[in-house]
Parts: sequence; C-alpha cells; structure tokens
Amino acid sequence: MGLACTALPMNQATILDADALARLRELDPDGRHGVVLRVLGAFETSLGRMLVQLSAQGGLAGAGTPAVVASVAHMLKSSSASVGALALSRACADVEQTVRLGTLADLDIQVERMVCEGEAALVAVRAMLQHKPPSE
Amino acid sequence: MTATHPFADETSHALQPEVLLVDDDEVNLLLTSLALGERGFKIVQVSSGEQALSLLHDWTPDIILLDAMMPGLDGFDTCRRLRLMPGYERVPVLMLTGLEDDASITRAYQAGATDFFVKATQWGLLAGRLHYLLRASRTRIELERSKSKLARAQDLARMGSFDWRRAEGGLLMSPEALRVFGYGPQEQVGLRALLRMVPQDDRRGFLHQLHEAMRHASVLATDVPIVLFDGRQRIIHVEAEPEFNEQGQGIGYTGIVQDVTDRRQAEDKIKQLANFDSLTGLPNRRQLIWRAERALEQARRMNHQCALLLIDLDRFKIINDTLGHGAGDELLVEVGRRLRACVRHSDQVMEGTLETAGVRSHRSLEAVGRLGGDEFVALLPEVQSDQDAERVAQRVLESLREPIFVSGQECFVTASVGMAIFPRDGNTVVDLLRNSDVAMYSVKAQGKNASAIYSPQLAGRGREKLELETALHKAIERDELVLHYQPKIDVRAARMVGAEALMRWQRGSQLVPPGDFIPLAEETGLIVPLSEWALREAARQARIWQQAFGFADSIAVNLPSRLFERSDLVEHIHQCVTAFNVPHRVIQLEITEDNLMKELQNVIPALHRLNEIGVEISIDDFGTGYSSLAYLTTLPISELKIDRSFVRDLGITPQSSAVVTAIIALARSLGLRVVAEGVETLRQMDVLHKAGCGLMQGFLFSRAVPPDELQRWLENTVLPRKAPWIGAAGDADSADPTGVARSAGGRQQR
Repeated sequence: MGLACTALPMNQATILDADALARLRELDPDGRHGVVLRVLGAFETSLGRMLVQLSAQGGLAGAGTPAVVASVAHMLKSSSASVGALALSRACADVEQTVRLGTLADLDIQVERMVCEGEAALVAVRAMLQHKPPSE
Repeated sequence: MTATHPFADETSHALQPEVLLVDDDEVNLLLTSLALGERGFKIVQVSSGEQALSLLHDWTPDIILLDAMMPGLDGFDTCRRLRLMPGYERVPVLMLTGLEDDASITRAYQAGATDFFVKATQWGLLAGRLHYLLRASRTRIELERSKSKLARAQDLARMGSFDWRRAEGGLLMSPEALRVFGYGPQEQVGLRALLRMVPQDDRRGFLHQLHEAMRHASVLATDVPIVLFDGRQRIIHVEAEPEFNEQGQGIGYTGIVQDVTDRRQAEDKIKQLANFDSLTGLPNRRQLIWRAERALEQARRMNHQCALLLIDLDRFKIINDTLGHGAGDELLVEVGRRLRACVRHSDQVMEGTLETAGVRSHRSLEAVGRLGGDEFVALLPEVQSDQDAERVAQRVLESLREPIFVSGQECFVTASVGMAIFPRDGNTVVDLLRNSDVAMYSVKAQGKNASAIYSPQLAGRGREKLELETALHKAIERDELVLHYQPKIDVRAARMVGAEALMRWQRGSQLVPPGDFIPLAEETGLIVPLSEWALREAARQARIWQQAFGFADSIAVNLPSRLFERSDLVEHIHQCVTAFNVPHRVIQLEITEDNLMKELQNVIPALHRLNEIGVEISIDDFGTGYSSLAYLTTLPISELKIDRSFVRDLGITPQSSAVVTAIIALARSLGLRVVAEGVETLRQMDVLHKAGCGLMQGFLFSRAVPPDELQRWLENTVLPRKAPWIGAAGDADSADPTGVARSAGGRQQR
C-alpha cells in the first residue's frame, strides 16, 4: 500500500462497533438468511476494491484527484458505518468535508488516515468472515 | 442486478408497496433492501441511474428511492430525467444521501424529488417516511381523481366555480366556468367583460343585485341572461357566498356559475303547457281561473266590478263533424285570434308583481282564454257598468261576422255570450262561471248569436233544468221509466199487427210525457242509455205477450240517429232478444225522416246490418222532411209512416189528401208497407183505407197504454169485435170499386 499505518490501533475487537453489528443481526435474528455474512462479504469486496483504487492512483500526490478521493470517501462513509467500522466512517466524512470545503492542505493526512482505517477494517472484517460464529 | 428480497411475501403482493431502490454502494443496496423487505416492502434494486431509467420504461413502482451521489448519472439527474417520462410526473421519489448540506437538499427538490432522507441505519425511520410518502401520494391521486371527476361533472352540468377578491379586484374562474361563458380554459377574463355579456336591459338590474349583495355581505343567487360571442342567448345561474377575513370583513365571494338555459326553457315550456291552451295559445282554464281569482281580489280591495264573459260557439259541432276535426281546430285557432283582439289581452302576468305594480296592475289580468272545446272566456278585471261588458260582448259577436276560411271553404260561425258581473252575480269565480253559463244557455235557447247578462230568473229556469237532468240520470237506476204501447191495426182484418213503444217517465205520482224529457235526454246524451233500456224492455214485453196471447208481431222502438251510428247497436239488439228468447224480428226500429236524411251516410251501414239480422226499419213522420226519393229506392227499409199532420187534415184540405195518396202510391211502387199515424176518426180511417192504406195507429183504436191494459183492450174490444171501427173498413172495402185497397192490403200483408 505504501502508507504507514503503525499509529493506528490494531485491536480487531474494537474496530467493528458491537452495537452496529447487533443492529445488523437484528435484520436476521435467527441467522437463517446469513445476513451478517452477506453484508460483511459485500463490504469486504467493496472496501478491498476502494483501497485498490486509491493505491492504484499512487496516493493523493499521484493521479488521485480530490474528486475521486471524495467519491470513494462518500461511498465508504455510509457502508462502513453500517457494518460498524465507525472510525473509517468518520475518516471518510472528514475527507468528504475537506474536499467539499476546498481546504485541501490537510487532505493528504486525512486520506492517509482513511486508508489506514480502511485496511484495519478490512483485516477485522476478513477475520470475522474467517472465524464466523456457529450461528452465521 | 434486479432482485426481489427473499423475505417478500408473494401472496401479499397486492398489499406490498413496490419500491425501486437505486444505489451504487452494494453494502447500502443490500442493507436497505433487507431492512425494507423485512418491513413489508417489495424491493427492486439497481445500482445506477441508467439502469433505473431503463427499467422504468416497462414497470412503474409505487415509490423510488434514489441515492443522490452515484458515479455516472447521479440521483439528481436521474430524478430530473424520470420526471420527464410520461406517467412519472407524480410518482414519489425519495432522495437518499449521506450529505446533510442544504445545497443537496435544495438540489434534490429542484430535480423534482418528493422528499429527502439522510442515509442512516435507523430503518424504521426510513420505512415510516416511505409509508408517509405513499399515503401522501395516494391522497394526491385520489384528490386529483376527485378534482377531475368534479371538473367532468361540472362540465356535464355546464357549471364552473369562481373566486372573486375585492382587494385584488380579481376574478379567478375555473376552466369549466370559463367554458360556461364561451371562453377557453387559459383565457383571463375580468368581471367587467362578463358584465358586458349581460344585455343592457338586464344589466342594470343585475348590477343592482350585485351591489346589494355586497353591501349586506349576503348570499347571491340569481339567474342572469347573457349573450355569447356567437350570438347565442343563455341563462346563467350565479350562486355565491361571501368570504370574510379574520376581522369579519367581507373580502370577496366564492361560488359557481351554471348554464341553466335548457332547464329554464323546460320550465317555461312546462309553465306554458300548464297555463296555456296548446291549440290556440290562449290561457287555459287553470290560468283563467287563477287570473279571475286575482282580479276578484283586486276588485274587492279596490271596490270595483269585474266581468266574466262566457263565449260558446253556435253549431260548432256541425262544423267539426262536417269538415273534420282538423278544420274544427283551424276554426278555433282563428276564433281565438279574433276574440283576443276584442279585449286588452295580456299573455303574461308577472306573478308577484300585481300588488307592487301600482293601482292599475290588475289590468294585466285582462284576457281571453279557452275553457275547452268551443268555449271561451273573456275576463274583464274592471268594468264600470253592465254596458262595458255588453260592449265587449258586441265586439265579440261582431268579430265573428266575417266568414272564417277553413279547409278550403268559408265558414260562418256565431257565438252565444253569457255575462256575469262581480260582485252582483257572484262572489267567487265558480259562481261567476256558473252564472255566465246560465246566461249563455238562455241565449242559446232564444236562438243563439246574441249575448245576455245573468239574472236570477234565468237561474231559476236553469236550476229546474239541472234538477230534471239529475233526476233523469237516476230514472233508469230507479226503474222510473216505462213503455206504453200503441197498437198498429190492420183495419180490414180488424186485428193488431204490431205496436209502437212510447216512453214515459213515472216521476213520483206524475207521468212525464216524452216531449218534456226526450229533448233534454238528447241534449245531454242520456238518450243513449234510455234507448238501450227501451230496446231491452220491448224485447221483454214481446216475450210476455208471446206467452200470454201468442204475440208474433213486432214492437217498434223509436231510436235517434246517433244510436244508429253506434257500432254496438246490432250487438245490443242481439243481446236483448237473446236474453228473452224472442226472434230478432220482434224488434222494429223507427227513425224519423229528418234524422235519417241528416245522418244518412252514417246510418246506412247500420240499416243494412240490422236488415240482415231480421230487424225491420220504419221511417217515422214521413212526408215532413226532405227525403231524397233516389235514396228511398235503395235504402233497406220496410215501412213508411204517414205523419199525423197529413192524417189530421184529411178531408179538410185537398193538399193533405194529395200528399197521403202520393205517399201511398210511392210506398206501393217501392214495395213498402205504409202506416198512417194519428187516426182519430172513422172518416180519416175511411179515407185512408179507400186510398189504399190499411195499417193505422191512433186514438180511434187506442191511445198508448201500459202493456197490461193493451192486453185487456185486445181481449175486451178487438177479439169480441166490439169497437165501432170494426166492420167500417169492411164496408169501405165493398165500396172500393177499384179494388186498390184490397190489392194494397194484399201487398201490406206480405
């Protein structure tokens, strides 16, 4: 990825918000329809694709334009909130806000934070998918 | 790409609102779809605006959820485009976005979104919003349908609504209201322009009404005539209620306008039919009575006299019968036209204006109307004296002097006019009508074509006549009528060869002679039931005599010509004779020469039919009328009766003998029997017998007597050959050198 994410917390248990996951489970209380796994699977696919898209552009200093970055941030903002990746969602909201206001000085740092939070969320989601509980 | 949520209950499809969900984020798409599916929505999901538009060509969801931010066609553009698609102008669109800024909200509305929802995981809120939008949409659809129905109904009723605001000075009319006035739906029309459509004569009154309504802030409900641009005249009903502001001040009016021309025309037509005679266009009985009542009210109030003239045409029936009803109607129309020129005829009386239109307003009641048939009435709401009424009566008689040209020929018609003056001759319309009728009848009785004012003396005669008529009606029911019989004698053989039935009325202890009631019976039409009764009674009597003494001749019954015109006469005679088991020939019918000749064409068919069943016809009072001898040769008659006036003068005036001889000769040559009536002396009998007439009736033999008495007469006088006339004819026979009597008698016996 080329971005240093060491400063970010790596405790997977805290990356995905328990309340948000509980709300997801409420959609399929007895787990018959595998809703949580399907949503996490979709999020993993979507998030993976976004991170690749950002990385392919070589970071903001490369071909990545504020518009593309804002678009990615917009898309990730609500889906990450839905699966409980609240830190990622906040990071996305900040990026989106910064682009909208045009105060691009802090954008690099914010994008970096968004990517790091994205990677962390991806790891956490994958871990959940690999260690799915019996009900899932 | 498109998939219905697995939770969806297929059986409740109809109750499941169909939602199109458009979002490029797979996670959101999945989550929203799952959450709404669980809450009873049927979801179809696509991930781009382009896909959504493509799908909407073939299917219409109940509601559309659009993500605002999408790559390619974003939510705003998608919304904008779908709003341009037919049928999607009103489909609710809820814009979903993560953006909370005002600019996006504004953009969403500008793009045509119905509402805006910030993306969140509170699915209950989203579902609630969807339900709200769906309900609002349904309400809107219902409202629009209702509005459209109302517009349609208003259109059909040629009605439209309007609002008028005093402050803005503006008139806002619905398209339907514009159409009522002949304007297009988009045209701007001011109150002034509409007022100009009201004809000048009516405009002032209408403006006055408008100002009065506005001044008192009262309801306005009125009909206004207008002239459309194409010149058509219409009647517009305007109904409006005032509207007030918070301070209770009138700020304007809201109401409807309706084209009521057809209804008004129908109402006018009904009014016309109810109040006017359709043939002459004159006021009818109902309208006349209404006018007369108003005139009497005014006369009472203002203490003056008024007059009612009853005008009855003389001999109208003859004209009607001769020239046909069409000609009769033409004549009535012309008479109506002439009569209305004899008074200050007013066609219309404005109801309700009589009392307000001044002291002379009752003059508008003056009119000539048609009561029915050939009866007209002239109402004079104010007369100073009898002379005023008489002058009008003279004008009426004068107006009819000129011949009336109908059915290609000139007709002369006269009238009898009876007058009654209020209050002297009656206090009510009914009294005045009755008394003018009495006066009119007195004119008829005195030769017609004149006028008379009512007097109580006339009423006395009229009342007597009325009482007689009533009593005669009841005479049949009460069995007060009797037949007396006068024998017809064959003097040579000295035997009875038949009898003539003559009607009497046993009214209490008084026996009323036919001359006193038959004319009235003919006038009133009672002659028909009277004659029918006589036929039945004669048949009954024939049966009694048959059983008593072997009576096998016929009883002659006198019938008026109108009986011969009845199609059921033959059937009636058949029933009478059948009922008493006697042959048809037992009844002979007598018709006077006058009657026969007057109605010749009408009675000939009946004469033939009667002859066919064996009923013989005798011509009564022969020699007094004007028989066409040519007809006599062809008519199916059997007998001529020489009128008593010739018999009376026999041996006194040579002319009588000449007539009698001629009739006998005529009868002989035609092969008819001849009977002499009114024979009172042996001398008359002798002369007649010598002239060749052996059949006679008269006091010499017997007057008309009750049936029992006739039987006694036969038994006590004829059979014992005790009467002075018996044998006299035999003597005459022997004295007749020519043998005519024998030969004639032989013919008569055939």
